[in-house]
Amino acid sequence: MHQRCYLPLRYLCLQLWRISRCQFTVIGCVLVVSSLCAGAFTVNQQEVPKNKADLVAIQDALVGSLEACRKATVSIRIGEGFGSGVIVSPEGLILTAAHVTAEVNEEMTVILNDGSEHKAISMGLHSESDAAMMRLIDEGEYPYVNINKNNDYRLGHWVFALGHAGGFDLERGAVVRLGRIVMENDSTLHTDCKVIGGDSGGPLFDMGGELIGIHSRVSASLEQNMHVPMREYLKHWDALKGNEFLGDGPFAERPDKGSGFLGFASTDTEDGLLIGEMLEDGPAANAGIETGDIILELEGEELTDKKHFQSMLKEKTRGEEVELLIMRNGEQKKMTVKLGER
Amino acid sequence: MTASQMTFMIVLSVSLFAASTQLSSAQGGLPADQRINGKRVWAAFEQHREILQRSSAVIYTDERARVKSLYGTVVSEQGHILTKASEIEGKSHLSVRIGSELYTEVDLLEVDEEWDVALLKVSVEQPLTPVELSSGDDVSQGHWVVSNGSTTRTQRRVRLGVVSAEIRKISATKSHVVLGVEFEKGKEAQWKVAGVSEDKGAQKAGIQVGDIIISADGVKLSEREDLIEVLKKKEPGDKVAIELTRDKKKLRLDVELSAREESMTRNDQMSGGEDQLSARRSEFPRVIDHDTPLTKVSVGGPLLNLDGVCIGMNIARASRVATFAIPARELREMIASMIE
Repeated sequence: MHQRCYLPLRYLCLQLWRISRCQFTVIGCVLVVSSLCAGAFTVNQQEVPKNKADLVAIQDALVGSLEACRKATVSIRIGEGFGSGVIVSPEGLILTAAHVTAEVNEEMTVILNDGSEHKAISMGLHSESDAAMMRLIDEGEYPYVNINKNNDYRLGHWVFALGHAGGFDLERGAVVRLGRIVMENDSTLHTDCKVIGGDSGGPLFDMGGELIGIHSRVSASLEQNMHVPMREYLKHWDALKGNEFLGDGPFAERPDKGSGFLGFASTDTEDGLLIGEMLEDGPAANAGIETGDIILELEGEELTDKKHFQSMLKEKTRGEEVELLIMRNGEQKKMTVKLGER
Repeated sequence: MTASQMTFMIVLSVSLFAASTQLSSAQGGLPADQRINGKRVWAAFEQHREILQRSSAVIYTDERARVKSLYGTVVSEQGHILTKASEIEGKSHLSVRIGSELYTEVDLLEVDEEWDVALLKVSVEQPLTPVELSSGDDVSQGHWVVSNGSTTRTQRRVRLGVVSAEIRKISATKSHVVLGVEFEKGKEAQWKVAGVSEDKGAQKAGIQVGDIIISADGVKLSEREDLIEVLKKKEPGDKVAIELTRDKKKLRLDVELSAREESMTRNDQMSGGEDQLSARRSEFPRVIDHDTPLTKVSVGGPLLNLDGVCIGMNIARASRVATFAIPARELREMIASMIE
């Protein structure tokens, strides 16, 4: 963590002579680092770099931020396809694109820049802006980057993109591209940082190495690379963390209600719903439910009969987790089942 | 094509629509001349432009020297120029412009197949200005690099980028011949046959869905690249000895190889396809990977750092996001062995 603050700080101190309108104390300097990363990069205040010193300043800022940013940039494998993402907390919270995770609560594989593979699970997504969140399952101290929460990235600012373009390549690692913000609106940043398939979900940084966006899509033009700005993530942060599926497309398709299933036959009895034949390897069997168990409650609601159970299940979708209270050998037991796809 | 790739494709077409509507109302966008490859940004690189003016050669392959085919890198005062070999292969009319001078007597002295580099020689009356080749360490990720982008008859122009990845080897991405089988997805069963193409060698030899291939020409297969390595040396019509297991029994079959029917990947298409990409863009021993937006007709020229020192020579446009250059160290070795 010290490293992450230190690099931009050192950079700013070297560049202090350029910032004419600001007064700095040591404390002031620290405040600037945490609150003005994008704005404080002085070349951003010019329409274009004027001389070699400006070019060196851009290069120094990029090189200074690069290592920590690369370490936190991950590749995400889904079947044979690849996307990218970026770790934003030491516990392993990852931001990516909704069209990469596509679903809530799905397990996928994350590959860190060093080639190590980790299990992760998709969390909430916003299907209209293309924002999504996921987390690494195993506990650990993961490399991460800070999010620019000040919303101070502006048209013309110098920025850089990272991502595992075209999929993961251990020898190559995450690929960097330099550019500027060439267009912006509330829900999209456009840059001339060139991105391609495999970069989707990867991070866009300001020159202080703070996260400002996530790669979403491109047009045929090399200058039309589109990113979801951090403000979109911050706006929906709690819902994303709460595994919610937000909006109705176009970047992810909401699973249909009633598309989830458990995988057993059942009959009404006086005690509850008696489980008969079970689908081998089905969702219920995998969760440890057995033939002969009696279901008493679904999601904490006492079941009156099979019809009641079915009508409640109709409101659920594949991938959703449901809690069952069952009776087995006279003992009550709570079980969680992740609904399979019908 | 997998589901997730499809999703991205749909997203792509959605975005094309979105992009065009936004462009029409995009009065607030950053003016074109201030973008990373805009004219006003190039102005800060005037010193580099002057170096390219003297040391980046424009190569024509048409009779009238009108249409630029690619660039070359001036490496000696006597008129030696390095360029990309496969782009001038079989061309009968070579001419070269350096500065505003046109040279029509051009000799092709030597070709290095491994690096896809050709050494040209023009007859000069006045000594040329060769590039200043770096003798230092490899260039690091994140550093500015300057290439020759476009040109007029009299003026070279710069094009900018940064070193985008670690210097590395670029292996062959695919072989030119195929067995005619499709393998299971994922790493666990990667040598299990999932499909057999109609009328290809594998089907004729009797390979079936579910077979697990163990070796090819005696080479045990583990990584995907292992099979590419075996097939790389083969031509269509050649045979390869395939060892496989079927129902726990081992079988040995000779499979006749067919030519791969070229298909551009979706990323190739996003990169402008054949019009933009170099035909030879893989199998280099070591390259600098940078994000400068060149095309197949703007490789061959020098790659400069901020100090104007030549740190490499552009050798391939590889994708929308990548251009490859031969590092200075290898260029120096090549020049030493080619020019005595």
